[in-house]
Amino acid sequence: MKKVFVIGWNSLTRLVRERSNVFFVFILPMLLVLVLGAAFGGTNDPRVGIVSVDAGELGDDLVGRIEAAQGVDVRAWDSREDVILAVERGQLEVGLIIPEGFDETLRAGEEVTIEFVAQPEQDARALRNTIESAVTEQGALLRAAAFAEEQVDAGFSDALDSATQLAEESERVTIEQDSVGEPFVFDQMGQFELGAYSQLLLFVFLTSLTGSTALIQSRQLGVSRRMVSTPTRIGQILAGEGLGRFLVAMVQGIFIMAGTAIAFGVDWGDWPGAIAILVVFAFGAAGVAMLMGATFSNDQQAGGVGVLVGIGLAALGGAMLPLSIMKIFSPTLWQVAHVSPHAWGIEAFEELILYDGTILDIWLELAVLGTFAIIVFALATWRLRIAITR
Amino acid sequence: MGDAGDGLVMECRDLHKAFGDIVAVDGVGFTISDGETYGLLGPNGAGKTTSISMICGLLEADAGEVFVDGERMTTRSVEPKRAVGYVPQDIAIYPDLTARENLTFFGRLYGMGGDGLKSRVSEVLELIGLAERADDKADDFSGGMKRRLNIGIGLLHKPHLLVLDEPTVGVDPQSRNAILESVERLSIEGMGVLYTTHYMEEAERLCDRVGIIDSGKIVAEGTRRELVDLIGSQDRVRVVASGDLKSAAEAVDGLPSVVEVGEREGGLDLIVGGAASNLTEILQKTTGAGAVVTSVDVDEPDLESVFLHLTGRARRD
Ligand SMILES: Nc1ncnc2c1ncn2[C@@H]1O[C@H](COP(=O)(O)OP(=O)(O)OP(=O)(O)O)[C@@H](O)[C@H]1O
Ligand SMILES: [Mg+2]
Repeated sequence: MKKVFVIGWNSLTRLVRERSNVFFVFILPMLLVLVLGAAFGGTNDPRVGIVSVDAGELGDDLVGRIEAAQGVDVRAWDSREDVILAVERGQLEVGLIIPEGFDETLRAGEEVTIEFVAQPEQDARALRNTIESAVTEQGALLRAAAFAEEQVDAGFSDALDSATQLAEESERVTIEQDSVGEPFVFDQMGQFELGAYSQLLLFVFLTSLTGSTALIQSRQLGVSRRMVSTPTRIGQILAGEGLGRFLVAMVQGIFIMAGTAIAFGVDWGDWPGAIAILVVFAFGAAGVAMLMGATFSNDQQAGGVGVLVGIGLAALGGAMLPLSIMKIFSPTLWQVAHVSPHAWGIEAFEELILYDGTILDIWLELAVLGTFAIIVFALATWRLRIAITR
Repeated sequence: MGDAGDGLVMECRDLHKAFGDIVAVDGVGFTISDGETYGLLGPNGAGKTTSISMICGLLEADAGEVFVDGERMTTRSVEPKRAVGYVPQDIAIYPDLTARENLTFFGRLYGMGGDGLKSRVSEVLELIGLAERADDKADDFSGGMKRRLNIGIGLLHKPHLLVLDEPTVGVDPQSRNAILESVERLSIEGMGVLYTTHYMEEAERLCDRVGIIDSGKIVAEGTRRELVDLIGSQDRVRVVASGDLKSAAEAVDGLPSVVEVGEREGGLDLIVGGAASNLTEILQKTTGAGAVVTSVDVDEPDLESVFLHLTGRARRD
């Protein structure tokens, strides 16, 4: 057991020793989280998706009023279905559907209903108030217009009567609230969170894969064979090399987690859950690194393939295009994405960060990642044993 | 048998190994006693490294057995590997670690630790002449220094059997001498040594016994004296010449007194029965075939002539 650690520790110190590694492993991911957060991370304002198709001038006017309100982040959407899906997935806090012909209906003096969609149990009162006041504002304007139209030539008392009557008349626009999606407590995601967990997974995996070159170099240098000549079991050598890859992944992962939490205030949610995701993910990444280290005999080739596979799986798994968006545009692609361990890691982190989940809520993701890790590790150990004693 | 107490540190029997169609080792067997230095001498591809790999438990033999200190050695062995210090032909060190770190790492794998390891590492650094460069990265070392570090790792745990696979390739004469001296010293201290080399003079100087291996088989074995006696009253003649050496070799080969002919760069190596009386004839044939002879050396037979005689090849290096 001690020798397993000796070999594992050796891998880790050799990695940290290399200056260019320090940049790629520790500094670059932090920089990317910073850049992504600055570029794409929104404000903390709740997001309201508004569908206003063929709603006419008054429809546009209402959207403008809501946009002008403080503390809302208004986004235009094209269809009712998409907005509802986005609310279900937690991409929007609220969806608002202004019906077609909103303008004409109001002008004709008839009543109109606006749909207000939020997730159940979500405290959307503040948002609803903002939207209601926009509607009221517009209503007041409409009444003033109606009054002006009727009373162009009337005397003051007639005008007052008519104004009182108009004021008592109920609002012609009603808001109907619907609930969609699973009940949950929504936790607003901060500016850097999305970048932090997607870069964490991307880099931990990528570093592991490119780190497979270290293993290939050990084989090429003959040090792996030399280890076999010492009174060390081959199983211990393999476990040590695996531990080395795992330690590298863990050190990097913990650095990114702690670093982004301290530097950018990233909230990783439930810490035991977050660490558990990192552990099983790093374990799987180390397994893939071992497998590559055993399979390739050319370290440059392995480095190139490592970068391709590392970035490819990350992209497929939603580290670049968020899975929630992927699901809306192509449910098939979204399903295929789950071939990538990154997809499971991302969903687990979202459960913790967005939905305030705990380690218990991500058991499925952890189990999938754990199984993946065990399978690749078993394959890798088998291949590497052959490669070393050939 | 490989029983403990019979004075044998290593015994291997009838080792076989093939890589696909290539038969690398074809029935190799020999023994090494405590404190004995055994030389395995053979041309490129003779099967030296492959034999050593099986002896050190790095490679599974197709057939045959190896015993070290009386214990069976396989790739899965642990105990017998404690007794062996393996120095591979190709330098196997971490270039990004210092000399001391390389030694310490492998020392731990040999089961050493603590102050014992620390002081032993310093001792070995001293022994291989790297004490002053101990904390420099191995990558910055010269070829010879890397070779010495490569050897040092094999010495760390004071093995009963030190296995050196061509340890002096690419080393300047001074370092080479230092390496040979330390091997001699270790042997005197009672360490068994298995030494492979291309250099006859190394084998002559170091080895108590020599096995000559060719095409995976040991074709002759014995002390230097025993081996030299094999070729009887023959001399080795070195002809330094230029021009058409190929035709010259063919021409000389036809002479009844010439036993072996080897062509090498800048001349011919011959084994001749009674050189004194046949030298004129040989030189006539050589010049006749279009070679220009600049000098001729006649030596008493040595290991090199035995080698040439047995393998039919001049050593190439
Ligand atoms: N891993 C391998 N795969 C295929 N063939 C091999 C392998 N190792 C050795 N061989 C072949 O086995 C034969 C013996 O090789 P070996 O390395 O044992 O020779 P050697 O005596 O050590 O030669 P050298 O003096 O060049 O080191 C050669 O023909 C070599 O090509
Ligand atoms: Mg060899």
